[in-house]
Amino acid sequence: MIQFNDVSKVYNGSVKAVDNVSFNVEDGEFVILVGPSGCGKTTLLRMVNQLEEITEGEIILNNQSVKELNKIEMRRKIGYVIQSNGLFPNMTIEKNVMIVPDLLGWDRKKRQDRFNHLMELIGLHPDEFRKRYPHELSGGQQQRIGVARALAADPPVMLMDEPFGALDPIIRNRLQEEFLQIQKEVKKTILFVSHDIDEAVKMGDKIALLRDGEIMQYNRPEEILNHPKNEFVSKFVGQDRVLKSTSLYSVKDLDNEVGLSPYDKSAHIKAVQEDTSLRIILSMLLNQEADQLVIEDGNGNRKGSLTLEHVEKFLQAKVGENADGVALQHE
Amino acid sequence: MEWHYNMNRNKRISLIVKVLFWAGLIIFFSWAFTNGMFQPIFENTGTFFNLLGEHMLLVLISGSLAIFTAIPAGIFLTRPQFQKAEFFAVNLANLGQTIPSLAILALAMGFIGIGMEAALVALFAYSVLPVLQNTIAGINSVDEDTKDAARGMGLTNMQILWRIELPNAAYSIIAGVRTALVMNIGTAALAYLIGGGGFGVWIFSGIELFDNAYLISGAVPVSMLAIAVDYLFRGMQLILVPKGLRLARQAVS
Amino acid sequence: MLAINDFLNYFSVNSEQILDYTFEHIQLVGLAIIISILIGVPLGIYLTTNEELAGTVLQITSIIMTIPSIALFGIMIPILSIVGQGIGFLPALIALVLYSQLPIIRNTYTGIKDVDPNIRDAAKGIGMTTFQRLWKVEIPNAMPLIMAGVRTATVLNIGIGAIAAYIGAGGLGSLINQGISRSNNTMVLVGAVVVSILAIIADLLLKYIQKKFTPKGI
Repeated sequence: MIQFNDVSKVYNGSVKAVDNVSFNVEDGEFVILVGPSGCGKTTLLRMVNQLEEITEGEIILNNQSVKELNKIEMRRKIGYVIQSNGLFPNMTIEKNVMIVPDLLGWDRKKRQDRFNHLMELIGLHPDEFRKRYPHELSGGQQQRIGVARALAADPPVMLMDEPFGALDPIIRNRLQEEFLQIQKEVKKTILFVSHDIDEAVKMGDKIALLRDGEIMQYNRPEEILNHPKNEFVSKFVGQDRVLKSTSLYSVKDLDNEVGLSPYDKSAHIKAVQEDTSLRIILSMLLNQEADQLVIEDGNGNRKGSLTLEHVEKFLQAKVGENADGVALQHE
Repeated sequence: MEWHYNMNRNKRISLIVKVLFWAGLIIFFSWAFTNGMFQPIFENTGTFFNLLGEHMLLVLISGSLAIFTAIPAGIFLTRPQFQKAEFFAVNLANLGQTIPSLAILALAMGFIGIGMEAALVALFAYSVLPVLQNTIAGINSVDEDTKDAARGMGLTNMQILWRIELPNAAYSIIAGVRTALVMNIGTAALAYLIGGGGFGVWIFSGIELFDNAYLISGAVPVSMLAIAVDYLFRGMQLILVPKGLRLARQAVS
Repeated sequence: MLAINDFLNYFSVNSEQILDYTFEHIQLVGLAIIISILIGVPLGIYLTTNEELAGTVLQITSIIMTIPSIALFGIMIPILSIVGQGIGFLPALIALVLYSQLPIIRNTYTGIKDVDPNIRDAAKGIGMTTFQRLWKVEIPNAMPLIMAGVRTATVLNIGIGAIAAYIGAGGLGSLINQGISRSNNTMVLVGAVVVSILAIIADLLLKYIQKKFTPKGI
C-alpha cells in the first residue's frame, strides 16, 4: 500500500532529516514510527501527504508516486490526526468531523448518517455533541473527535502524528485501547508517529525505529524487543524489554511453545483465561497471589496449569541467545 | 463569614461608584439644560443636522475606504510569500499610530491645502492603520496546528482563508474597525480646522467666542455619536463572531 | 509647493521658540502622566481585590476614552469656568489624566491578575505577608504590562496635548494653531513634524524602559 523507496529529506541543502529510508507498509497494517525527538519520524510521516516535500527518492501510494498525485485530492483521501488535535474552534463538532465529506460534496443525509456512525464508533453520543464546540470538550473528547474527523470520508490510509501524546496517562491508555478496537473494525493502513516505545509495542503490527533520519530496525514488536538489531535499539527499548515483551504474548502462545503442566484437581487453585497476557500472569505469580495458576479456555474447560518456571522457559525460547540482559534469571 | 462580608462590601462599593457616575451625568445634563446650553440644537435644528450629516459623511467615506483597502491588504500581507512586506507593514502601522491626529491633519493640509479633500485623506490614513494591524494580528493568531490540520486534510489555500483564517480573525478585525471608526469620529471633529466641517464647527466657534452653549451643543452630540458607534460594534462582535470562538476566548481568559 | 529650505530655515530662525513649546508640551504631558500613575496604579491594584468594582471602573474609563478629546475639552470648559478655570493649563491637565486612566488601570489590573497562581501560591507558602507578596512578587511580575500602559497613555497624551493648545494650554499645538490662522504652511508642518517626533521618541524610550523593567526570565 505505502512504499518508501530511498526517501531522503534535506533541509537548507545540508541538514539531513530523513536519510535514504526504504520500507513497505502492507494493506491494513498498523505501523508505528518511533524514535527520539529529532529522528525524522514526523518529517517522514508528513512527506506521505506532501506537507513536506520529498528531496530524493519516492513514496508510492497504491502504485502511484505521491509526487504525481494532486496534493489536494490525495490529502482528502488520507486521514490526518495531529497531537494538538487541530480542531477548528469556529466550527461545531459536526462541521469539524464532516469537513472533508463537505469538501467532497456529500449530500446532507449521507453526511448526517456518517456523523452518527462515527460518533458511535468513538463512543460519544451524536446528538449530545453535534452542536457543541471544541472548547466545550475535554482533551480526551477533543482527541476522539480528531480521530473521527480523520475517518470521516472513510480514507484507506491514516497518518497519525502522536495523536495521544498530549493526554494524561490514564486517558491515553483508554484512547489507545479504544483505537485498537476501532482499527479492528475499520482495518485502515496506518502510519503512526510516537516517541513512546510502550505505545509502539502495544499498538503496532510493526515498528520502524528511527535515529538521525535512518531506520535502525523495522519489524514486528516482539522481534524488536527480543532481538534488537544493535545497541541503539536495545537501549531505546530499555533494559526491561523482556518484561515489555510479556505483554505481547498470551497463555495460548506459551502453551504452543512450551506446553502446560497437568493440574492438581483437589487443590484450590486460581483460574485464568487462556487469552490473558503473560504480563498479567507474571505479575500475579510474582505478587504471591498464587504460585500456580489453572488455565481455562473460552468455554471454561480447564487445559492445564503453569508456574513461574513455565514463563521463564517460554521467554528463554523466545528471546534466544541474543538476550544479553534477561531480567529473569533463576538462581 | 469574612468572605461573605467582603463580597457584600465589594458589591456595595461598586454600586456606590455606579450611582455616583450616573448621578454626575444626570446633574450635568440638568445643569446644561437649565442653563440653556442645548439651545443651539433647538434653535438651529437645520444647521445641527447639516453638521451631523457632514460629520457622518466624513467618517463613513474615509472609514469605508479604509476598511475596503486595509482588510484585503492585511490578507495579502499575511500570505507566506509576502512575509518581508508584512514585517515592514506592521512596523509602519505601529509607527503611524504614534503620530498625533492633529499632526496628521496638519500634514494633510500642508500638502493638499485647506478643504474637505485634505480632511478625508487625513482621516483615511489614520483609520487604515488600526484595521490593517488588527487584520494581520487576527489572521496570524490562528493556531499553526489548526492550519496544518486543515492543509493535511486537503483544504485549498482559499478554503483555509475563508473557512478557518477569516472566521478566526473576525473578532480582531471588527475590533480594529471599531477603534478606527471611534477615532475617526474624534478626529473628524478636528477637521473643521482644515476646512472640513462637522461638529468641530460649533465646538471651535464655542471656544473662540467663549460661548458655552455652542461648545456643549457640539461636544455632547459628537461624544454620544462616538459612544453609540463603540457600543454598536461591541454588539456586532457578539453577533458576528462565531460562538465557538467566543467560548475559546472565555477559556483563555 | 513648499520647499525643504523653508522648513529648515524656519527651524533655525525659531529654534528657541520651538524648544520652549516642546518643554511646555513635555511639562504638561509629564505632570499628567505622574498624576495618572499615582492614581491609576494603586487603583488598578485595589481592583484586583474587588471584581465588582473592577468591571464598573473599567467600563467608565473606557467610556471616557471613547469621548473625542476636543469634545471632552468642550464639555469641561463650561464646567470648569464655574470656578474660573475654563481654559488654560488646568482643564488640559485634567483631560490628560482622565484619558490616561484606562490604559494604566487596565494594564495594572490585568498584569497583577495574570501573575501565575503557582507563583502566588509559592509566595504564600514561604510565609510572605500580603504586602510583601504585592511588593516582591506581584508588582515586579506585572511591571512590563504596567509600563506598557504608561507608554500607551504617554503617546496618547502627547497627541491630545497638541489639541490642548486650542484651549490655551500652550505646547507644540500652538505652532499648528497659529500656523493655520496665519496661513503659514511651514509653521503648520514644523509643528506637525516636531510633535510627531516627540511622540515617536517617547514611544521608543518607554519601550526601552519597559524592556529594562522586564525581569530576566519573563
